[in-house]
Amino acid sequence: MVAEISSLAPEELARWRALPWKLLPAVPRPPLLNMALDEVLVEHVGAGKRQPTLRIWGWSAPCVVLGRFQSVRNEVDEEGAARHGIEIVRRISGGGAMFIEPQGAITWSLYAPLSMVTGMTFAESYRFFDAWVVDALRELGIDAWYAPLNDITSAAGKIGGAAQARRGGAVLHHTTMAYDMNLPLMLEVLRTGQEKLSDKGVTSADKRVAPLRLQTNLPREAIIDHMVQQFRGRFGLEEDALDPDEIAEAEQRARERFAIAAWTHYLP
Amino acid sequence: MSCRGEFKTPGGKLIAVDFDVVDGELRNVVVTGDFFLYPEEALPILTGALEDSPITLDEAGYTARVRTALDSSAELVGSSPEALASAVIRALGACQEPEQSDGG
Repeated sequence: MVAEISSLAPEELARWRALPWKLLPAVPRPPLLNMALDEVLVEHVGAGKRQPTLRIWGWSAPCVVLGRFQSVRNEVDEEGAARHGIEIVRRISGGGAMFIEPQGAITWSLYAPLSMVTGMTFAESYRFFDAWVVDALRELGIDAWYAPLNDITSAAGKIGGAAQARRGGAVLHHTTMAYDMNLPLMLEVLRTGQEKLSDKGVTSADKRVAPLRLQTNLPREAIIDHMVQQFRGRFGLEEDALDPDEIAEAEQRARERFAIAAWTHYLP
Repeated sequence: MSCRGEFKTPGGKLIAVDFDVVDGELRNVVVTGDFFLYPEEALPILTGALEDSPITLDEAGYTARVRTALDSSAELVGSSPEALASAVIRALGACQEPEQSDGG
């Protein structure tokens, strides 16, 4: 165990503790619905319709999640993805592509009022939102740390990456960590390690990834439980559920916005 | 001529630019990468800053165009106007005739 947890300054801790946090526990959902929920929930927090929320993601299918500004063909082998029934979706935030298998990833989102990060640079806010997870991992004996701009890393390699989007008065900060990785399958789907279309091509997924399963014997669920417990203990956290209106709105948006090629392939 | 260049900011993100060269100007500019841009809807501002630019500018010239366009309304995070300008210069040094070119 790492004895001292000191990654948040007292003034930063106060910002976390000042908000009435809700927890949306993991429920397996289709990739497109996960994309849409992030947008709907950050909007609802911005509009004051939902309290600040921590959502633990569940995945019902494997997928590739592209960053907002990435080119599909530069990041994904679409034939390889189709061959394995892997959907390609695009999220609302920038950052790099991720290959997701339901039991291989730990993903969560925070939806908070923008006032929570008043006076912080973007870079500072990334560290601020990931600090509690770094602490939770360290409590589990994993020697993790935050690496600017948006990575959670370790001596063995990168564990995960974060991205943010802002919508009218609220900030979405979401992070995915690798728990387990099917490297051969990933190499058939992501262009990392493949010959690139561009001879100078570099993808964000090129960084060496060190999945948590290689760094701890704990099952995925135990890590998530510990993260939630850590959050609850430090900041307060009350269990919540999506209300039917939120689900309906996200389902509609998944169909009408996130599923269409004008979104997924707008940068082909 | 079809051109592509990339620039990865050390400790930051990759930004790539694709464009055609027509009549000595950058056309059909597309900017991609794993950078962050706030607000996200400002992507057309980035591409618009370069669209129709002469190919004769230097790195400072492209940087100034991007910086002026972003102004205070949008912010690149993990990348920069300088990085995008560097990608443009690299692209201009690596232009190729399109595969389906009729030779003209």
